[in-house]
Amino acid sequence: MIRLKDIHVTFNKGTPLETRALRGVDLEVPEGQFLTIIGSNGAGKSTCLNVIAGLTKVESGSTEIDDKIVTGWPVHKRSRMLSRVFQDPKMGTCEDLSIIENFALAHGRTSPRGLRFAVASGMREEAAERLKVLGLGLENRLDDKVGLLSGGQRQAVSLLMAATGDTKVLLLDEHTAALDPKTAEFVLDLTKNIVSTLKLTAVMVTHSMAQALHTGERTIMFHRGRIVFDAAGEARDKLEVGDLLELFKREQGEELADDSLLLG
Amino acid sequence: MSLYEILGTLETGFIFGIVALGAFLTFRILDFPDLTVEGSFPLGAAVAATLMVAAGWNPWIATICAGLAGFVAGFITAFLNVRFKILHILAGILVAISLYSINLKIMSGPNKPLLRVDTVFTYLDVFGISGYIINPIFLGIVILLIKLLLDAFLATGYGISMRAAGSNPAMAEANGVNVGNMKLVGVGVANALTALAGALFAQSFGAADAYMGIGVIIIGLASVIVGMSIMPSGTIFLATIACIVGAILYRLAVALALNADFIGFQASDVQLVTALLVIIALILQQSGNVRSIFRRGNKR
Repeated sequence: MIRLKDIHVTFNKGTPLETRALRGVDLEVPEGQFLTIIGSNGAGKSTCLNVIAGLTKVESGSTEIDDKIVTGWPVHKRSRMLSRVFQDPKMGTCEDLSIIENFALAHGRTSPRGLRFAVASGMREEAAERLKVLGLGLENRLDDKVGLLSGGQRQAVSLLMAATGDTKVLLLDEHTAALDPKTAEFVLDLTKNIVSTLKLTAVMVTHSMAQALHTGERTIMFHRGRIVFDAAGEARDKLEVGDLLELFKREQGEELADDSLLLG
Repeated sequence: MSLYEILGTLETGFIFGIVALGAFLTFRILDFPDLTVEGSFPLGAAVAATLMVAAGWNPWIATICAGLAGFVAGFITAFLNVRFKILHILAGILVAISLYSINLKIMSGPNKPLLRVDTVFTYLDVFGISGYIINPIFLGIVILLIKLLLDAFLATGYGISMRAAGSNPAMAEANGVNVGNMKLVGVGVANALTALAGALFAQSFGAADAYMGIGVIIIGLASVIVGMSIMPSGTIFLATIACIVGAILYRLAVALALNADFIGFQASDVQLVTALLVIIALILQQSGNVRSIFRRGNKR
């Protein structure tokens, strides 16, 4: 469960570059819901995700995860409750560590790390079993440095790592944007699979309206730091990308300037 | 070079190998260019010598205390960086400079001779072998133990967190690693090793000196760079071996350069030779072959 209450974020406050990134965002994502977020560049969708993750400090408002108020918590402390997959495949894994060491690191996210050997007994078998599902042959390369893998492979590993431990919340920041279409589809299918199997509360930021509408069960749209549109259930099922654009124009009374929203 | 000289080179090579392991931890693992070592190396020497001479402490305990003092110095550097966002290089220089004064205070003067006091090397007399043979053997065992301990540490949950914190801080944080704490501990441990090396160096050399820290950072770094550019360093186990081999090779190169009369170097040219060696090693590391030094332009 994620709850944002009246979140305000301003970047470069008091300078000529002052930007009000979020202007009073209220959002509640109930447990087990898969929410997708769309919006043009600078609309506030990634900022919203960063507020949940703790990367961005809020000016006012409160953040709750699983009924705990986490507003002032640093990133590493919140990581015990949520996991993230980044846009850049290089960001989600550590290239100087081997695949198995990356998994061990992900294990340590929810269970305390200590001076015992990181790769505990049974961890290799478990990791191999989960990697096998990908069908990429990574289960035979456990001791390879992650830096040797391709972007798609790394993103798949990131996803599996994010699903390690007993996290309830998964944050996805345009995690398929940097991949080729085929790999993107593969990673997206894997995402859907993991979210439904582990019954995760998931928030996915995306640039593609089609992806937003066909993934998960609820879609919200950001514009100029506010949530301008929120659809779930049947109302959302009926929506097409065109409707969404139409709706967006009506609500805002202006043309969409960003072409990237039309793509995909 | 005579056997005597070679063994002497090995002895200092092993001591600076400990410094190299510290440099490996900061520069390579944590990605934290730490200049504190210029101060923590003489700090270790000063603390150990003063405790042994002025306070009459057991040399083993004095040496361990020197390591602890080094940890504190490194911790302060990292703290300045983590807590107050002072640039890591600057934080290191600031601590190293203040350590210069602190070392003078500790020793109540610019140096502290270790005359007629027991050092850790005195304890080796029980084996009945001459010092110039047993000392390098002893130091070889010491550095091997440190290397294995470091290898094991970097394979623990805490250790891989530290490696991730240096290699990909954002990812480390997303996986619950407190990156700031990793720097505090890592830079602390690296300086503890450096101070330990300083304490051993003073006991091997026969005195602690406030100026003995000059160039230590380059020696440590040179050892890491030289070792890693000539040896496989794909795993932590191999990388730490490379650091030690690099330190020995580096000492050998300096000894040869100073020994070769035809080049005309004198003992006072050590720092110049050091800097030249590092520059050559760095150029080799970039391009991978010797000829490129003389090639025109940058073809990378």
